[in-house]
Amino acid sequence: MVLLGAWVSLVGLSWDVQWHGDVGPDTFVTWPHLALYSGSALSGIASLVMVLRSTASQRAGRSFPRNAGGLPVSVFGGTFQAPLGYLISGVGAALFLLYGLLDLWWHTIYGFDATLSTPSHVALFLSISLTMIGSIVVFAAARDQRWARGGLLLAIGVFMVFGPIPFAGLDPLDLPINSTLIGVLLCTPTLLIMGAVLLGRWAAVRIAVVLGAMQAFLWWFSPWATIAYASFVGLPLRDGLRDNVPGIPNTIPMFLIVAALAVEGLLTLGRAGRLRPRVLVPLTGGVAGVLIGPSLIAQFVLVGESSFRNASILIPAAVAGLVLGLVAGYLGCRFAVLLRAAPSTALRTAEGEAA
Amino acid sequence: MIRRLAVLLTVILGSLGLAAPATAYAPVTIVHTEQVTVGPYRITVGFSTWPIRAMRSLDFTFTPADGIAGKSGTVAILRSAFLPPEAAPGSDPAATGAGPRRRMVGERLVRHPRKREVWGLDVEAVNNPGTYALRFAIDGPKGYAEGTLPDVTVLDQPGPPMALSWAIGTLPLWALIALIAIAWRRVRPGRRPLFA
Repeated sequence: MVLLGAWVSLVGLSWDVQWHGDVGPDTFVTWPHLALYSGSALSGIASLVMVLRSTASQRAGRSFPRNAGGLPVSVFGGTFQAPLGYLISGVGAALFLLYGLLDLWWHTIYGFDATLSTPSHVALFLSISLTMIGSIVVFAAARDQRWARGGLLLAIGVFMVFGPIPFAGLDPLDLPINSTLIGVLLCTPTLLIMGAVLLGRWAAVRIAVVLGAMQAFLWWFSPWATIAYASFVGLPLRDGLRDNVPGIPNTIPMFLIVAALAVEGLLTLGRAGRLRPRVLVPLTGGVAGVLIGPSLIAQFVLVGESSFRNASILIPAAVAGLVLGLVAGYLGCRFAVLLRAAPSTALRTAEGEAA
Repeated sequence: MIRRLAVLLTVILGSLGLAAPATAYAPVTIVHTEQVTVGPYRITVGFSTWPIRAMRSLDFTFTPADGIAGKSGTVAILRSAFLPPEAAPGSDPAATGAGPRRRMVGERLVRHPRKREVWGLDVEAVNNPGTYALRFAIDGPKGYAEGTLPDVTVLDQPGPPMALSWAIGTLPLWALIALIAIAWRRVRPGRRPLFA
């Protein structure tokens, strides 16, 4: 349910961005906004139910399954016992609703700005990100189960698409590289490598396939739903739409499979002991970044993205990909170890308390 | 129970559909206008809020005296200091040696999504305070011409200081970084084997 909520939020955002680009008029009550809010509501309610179940089990002296949501955390001085994953996703959902109020207030001062890079919008995106990270922690805790491994692939894919969005908050800094591009070049290899280390052989390829399927769906759905909704409420499309490239789906690296195969090969060498972690970690990140950066620019040129009409930034994109890839390699490997270690830490804590 | 839920869902979804027909979207209300001469064309520039404040989005409308039919063009919102010499108000491009170049700069003029009989920009915000100019290039039955509406003042942004807004807006990020730092200190991932 948490993952379903995260997915609904992602679809809602992609639809909303398409709506602003292709149609324009906005009010608080629109279908894309409903998807965004109901996605967080769904995740929040599911998280709350699991926290209450965990708390009830603790009070009744029953053991709550160790793999149900991750490390148990005491909240409000022990009033609640919340599995870490559900705590993170629930806090994200609650913050989303609170920041929704901030967003309403923001619009009364600044108007209905259709930009991603305002503090209230970035706060909403960060809140959704927390929910998505929570879903990753939940599935990672139960990854010895087949359903959880499948869920983890989907949760990683969803956050790969959404993770770069809050980077829009860097827009006011006027960086030399587009801030969403920075987000993609950092989030995609980090999550790819994290998933590949955590889930074992062929996981990187599976993640790339899942991401490709999500991209294909969003690429079709966002324009289709926008046109259908505009027709339903009797609004025309904007004049002068220059390209037919859906905004959010086009930030997803279309050729990730190439980087995934490279990551797969390098990690296979690492598992066989032929590459030491000191070499493996930066090498995997760097190679993934160098492959993702230019391939993303090639994708923009290929699909006719109006702001990328030539390939002149291929080399800067490769350099940015390399630098951010090195960071991603480090973070991806460390996050995988953190996620793997959490249940055993919980077990030790539980054993310690029992003793 | 399921029937009640279905009825509730139908009511919610139905009300959403009904709540958002085209008429539900706020109409464009122009509270201030300025006139600009673009060669043989006379354009009325309308603003939905006045004075303009930085970061506060507003609707712009651009209405040629004899309508938009048969005309095309562009508009650019530029800081006055960055205007090229030939774009100074009242100057003739041919007299400056630039000539009628048919160089369409800025955004293509398109119909306003909520006021389709005129050109316009919807929910557009100017990010920084200062003095701006709206530079037009119009092509139509009377030929091509350029013109500028000078000295459009954009006042300081409303609301709290941006640093405070960003501090509040990025709280989830700082919370996440704190959580990762705590987990990192407890688990020490660098000291554990990479593969299980």
